[in-house]
Amino acid sequence: MKEIKYIVDTTLRDGEQSPGIALRTKDKVKIAKLLDEIGVYEVEAGVPCISPAEADGISEIIENTQNAKISVWSRMNINDVKYSIGCKPHILHIGTPVSYIQIYSKLKKNKAWVQKNILECVDIAKSSGVDVTVGLEDASRSDIGFILSLIKELKKAGVNIIRLADTVGILTPNRTKEIVETIKVHSDVEIEMHVHNDLGMAVANSIVGAKAGAAYVDCTLFGIGERTGNCNFYDFVHASESIFHFAMNKKQIKNVEEKSYQQLKGAM
Amino acid sequence: MIRIIDNTLTGFDGLLPSKDDLYLFCKLLVIIGVDMIELSVAAYEKMKELPEEGNYVLRIEFVDEMIKYPGFSRYTCHHEANQEKIICEVQMNDVREIVKLRALSNCKELRITGLDDLMCASYDKTMKEIKRALPNSKINFCPENTYKCASALAVQWLLNYGNDVTTSFAGWKNNGATEEVIMALRLAVRHKPNRDLTVLPVLKELFEKITGTRISNKKPVIGKNIFKVEAGIHADGINKNPATYEAYEPGCVGGRSEIVIGKHSGIKAVKLKMEELDLVIPEDRIVEKILNLVKEVCMEKGTSLKDEEFERLTVEVISHERN
Repeated sequence: MKEIKYIVDTTLRDGEQSPGIALRTKDKVKIAKLLDEIGVYEVEAGVPCISPAEADGISEIIENTQNAKISVWSRMNINDVKYSIGCKPHILHIGTPVSYIQIYSKLKKNKAWVQKNILECVDIAKSSGVDVTVGLEDASRSDIGFILSLIKELKKAGVNIIRLADTVGILTPNRTKEIVETIKVHSDVEIEMHVHNDLGMAVANSIVGAKAGAAYVDCTLFGIGERTGNCNFYDFVHASESIFHFAMNKKQIKNVEEKSYQQLKGAM
Repeated sequence: MIRIIDNTLTGFDGLLPSKDDLYLFCKLLVIIGVDMIELSVAAYEKMKELPEEGNYVLRIEFVDEMIKYPGFSRYTCHHEANQEKIICEVQMNDVREIVKLRALSNCKELRITGLDDLMCASYDKTMKEIKRALPNSKINFCPENTYKCASALAVQWLLNYGNDVTTSFAGWKNNGATEEVIMALRLAVRHKPNRDLTVLPVLKELFEKITGTRISNKKPVIGKNIFKVEAGIHADGINKNPATYEAYEPGCVGGRSEIVIGKHSGIKAVKLKMEELDLVIPEDRIVEKILNLVKEVCMEKGTSLKDEEFERLTVEVISHERN
């Protein structure tokens, strides 16, 4: 029997961050509904902190979808987390920089600060009754020891899914396998693969990550996203339907692509 | 030692490139670090002579054509041949076919083409089996790209099992993309770090001219828009240290980072863009007004702003504030 894998569609968040498009609320609602209809497990609907209009749009998406879990993205920042919870998403996803370059160069902080902050953010979200997933940003360039100790603390705090983000798209298949397997050996946390296509390996790395134990795979329609984009939804299902079971088939994905092409073409 | 054969020039036969175009294409492939360039007979006959730089492989139909076209480093041919300089090519569409390889163990050099679905199979085990089946042959791997995994498979082969692959520029021949494999090797094992990849935009333009196609704006390594950044958090990160959100320095492939102002921009990105456009940066309260208007306009238009649109909008907000 084929293993079941769940699609997390991030077209409306990472996909929309691609320069060239700015989706209106009605566009987002339309695309979210299409994704919901074909059985996408989770629709990452956007970043509420961008603007009040974006936050309102996300609330409208929640009202207009039935089965998909609607998640929102937030920085690891207490005010952002509080604001994002206001949309009443099913899942709050908190992006957490974990590589030294992100921690020391971008945040200008240290590992202890990151750990303290993310646990505070998780606590705030959890106490509001929102489910939380944590994104380990730039995990592919991080110290695996730090990742493992952070996961241990996150699990204690009630986080059951972590997103392994290949933020700059430098993973190779073997490296992907190694990271996922190492996490699986040390923790029972569930893994969500989030890869970028900078070296043309997004589909391959997603397949390898899923084979190694990731239950969730982040995709976007047409593979749009930052720089070279994310894992292409259609291509991923096309490449791996022989070994994985998905809620949707290729024809349904093509149909969604056709119906959302006008809104998304600027990002291609 | 790693060997990359680029076979793009076996795929231009139905097109009409000039002799000069083909000549320049070869030279540029050598510059970016391709070890061998594979040509069709038609491409070779059009070029008449080959550039001094580089090693060349001729694709022939029958082994005896070697005599007609002497002087190449290697010849590729579908027919099985235990002969010096011949790379015998075998197509494998399914992992289960690798058992047939033992019958080809007399080939000195063998190219395995296909195996598109290898990523879903146990690719590491299969690659080991291939090596075991042909202990005395030099194996060139040319994974095909039906499932968008060819570059990854080529890199995986080079990093762990073999040292010889065939790719094509932008994956033109439905195999791995030469530029992706070269960049992946540079990042993973510092392979040929001194090769000049800044010529890639010229190579891309020439490729588009010859093929009459347009490379996708998002194509890894060579796409036009791959270094454009809009999200506030990314623009800020890149400004502090480009390596935070870039796998490699854009300049090394002839590109440059560019901040685009749009719905996802933040205060810092707006200030950076104003600085870039030589605009006087007003107090934060006004920058915030500019940012809010940017978001409103972008949502209305359904797209990001061009620099001139952003400049016009900024000037309007500032002059309105002054009045």
